[in-house]
Amino acid sequence: MKKCKGIENNLPFYLDDSLTGAEKQAVEEHLNSCPRCSKVLVELSKTGALVGSLAEVKPPPWFKQKIMARVREEAEEKSFVQKWFYPLRIKIPIQIFATVCIAVLTVYIYRAGEDQMKAVVPSSAPAPVVEVSRNQKPAQSLEAPENLTANVTKGKVAAGKDTRDEKAVVHDMSSGFAAPKAEEMKKTLPQENVSAGGRDAAKSIKENVASDAKADKYANAPAAKSIEQSRTGLERKKASVVLGSAMKESRAPQSQSVMPKANIALHVSDIDAAAVKAEKLLTKYGAKNVARQIQEGKAILTAELKIQNIKDLIAQLKTIGRIEERIVSVDNADGNIFIVIEIVNN
Amino acid sequence: MLWVSNIIDGQKAIDADEDIEFVLACQKGDTEAFAVLVERHQKQILNIAFRMTGDYDEACDIAQEAFISAYRSIRKFKAEAKFSTWLYRIVINYSKNRLKQMRGRDRREGVSLDDSGEIKTEGILNKSLIDCDNPGTHLEKREREAQVQKCITSLDDEHREVLVLRDIQGFSYEEIRDILKIPDGTVKSRLSRARRALKDCLIKVIGDL
Repeated sequence: MKKCKGIENNLPFYLDDSLTGAEKQAVEEHLNSCPRCSKVLVELSKTGALVGSLAEVKPPPWFKQKIMARVREEAEEKSFVQKWFYPLRIKIPIQIFATVCIAVLTVYIYRAGEDQMKAVVPSSAPAPVVEVSRNQKPAQSLEAPENLTANVTKGKVAAGKDTRDEKAVVHDMSSGFAAPKAEEMKKTLPQENVSAGGRDAAKSIKENVASDAKADKYANAPAAKSIEQSRTGLERKKASVVLGSAMKESRAPQSQSVMPKANIALHVSDIDAAAVKAEKLLTKYGAKNVARQIQEGKAILTAELKIQNIKDLIAQLKTIGRIEERIVSVDNADGNIFIVIEIVNN
Repeated sequence: MLWVSNIIDGQKAIDADEDIEFVLACQKGDTEAFAVLVERHQKQILNIAFRMTGDYDEACDIAQEAFISAYRSIRKFKAEAKFSTWLYRIVINYSKNRLKQMRGRDRREGVSLDDSGEIKTEGILNKSLIDCDNPGTHLEKREREAQVQKCITSLDDEHREVLVLRDIQGFSYEEIRDILKIPDGTVKSRLSRARRALKDCLIKVIGDL
């Protein structure tokens, strides 16, 4: 029986003819003497015949088409992915590099644009107007400080930092400037006034300031008129109006009104000597941007002075001659005041 | 020495692989080259799936999935063995997985897989045996085939796959070894047990052979 079990394991391979010579001989010898194993061999042989006679099934007619339809769908999806990402070792680094380039370029363009915007539109820090008027020192930053118009231009730059309360500022400063004229100024002042072009503009209106000062000595009129006159000189520069200029220009009148102003008429017998003395006094009291204009029958000094020194200056000017004064917009003790001293004969 | 022998065998397999040209074309993105491979292997793939599961519809589904799976991973095919060997391994694995699902489903529904396999096999054998002239013989043969299929389906997975590949599909022991990735000795021992188990099953079902 033990031998039968070993032989039975080899019977399938005996049918296959896949046994070695010795194994085959052992099986045949055993089969001759064992009818049970011979019967098993017959049964295995019939089983093999039955299995071998199984008919093949045929694929349905749509089989291949259906597979290929799905394969084509897969290929389309795959090709999209492959187009963008494969081979990974090449395309992923390229995509990363391209992304970095785009990011760098974006930052570069943004910064370049920011510089241009700064050139066109002053930064828009939301400082209150009063704060601006206290802290600004516009005369130091520009190149044409020696006359009124230059100061107007600087004032505009200073006021450019203000983005709010524009209407309120106009009303507050209405004592210094006539609103309608300020509106006109808004439309005509070109942006170059903010930067280097401000010097040319200042020069062009320099004379106009002086002539207007004669006609209207005090209060609002001189400044407003000087702005109006300056418009004609500045309109030539209007061609290069750029984005944001309107916004910037809209602040120009306010900037002018931010700087308090003092108009002083000094009646003396000797204009030249008085002008020299007055200039010395201005220098003594720390005036900046002192400018002197000699005209027929009068001299005009313009300067910027600290507000706390204005009273002392006026007291000293009284020693030179008779004065008439008018100070506007002195609503705080700090900061500078723009002073115009007109020296005329008694 | 053994690994040298394996390399040589692998090289022979590549040289003898008539599919390699189309496989390479597929790997380069030629979708239509895959149609040739489907055409060549669809019948054998379907028959392996059918004999593994005993269900024609399931076999069609398995064969399709196997082809789609092969297409998806055709770039990973390294030509270390024949393409057909790789493809048959896929369909064997799909069949085994599907059979597990079917058994689980039938267990939940309280249906014997053997019974369901018999019914579906009978249905499809009717379609496949179209060349039979004698209706009586046809009927008898169809019934016998259903009984054989029932016994095949009742075998363990590891016995059934060896039996299907060797005794139905006619693969050599080496091919079966490559397809199933099992040693030669394991192939033989499983085949021996599978044949004897099938014989016992058929004696039970049919009676005296």
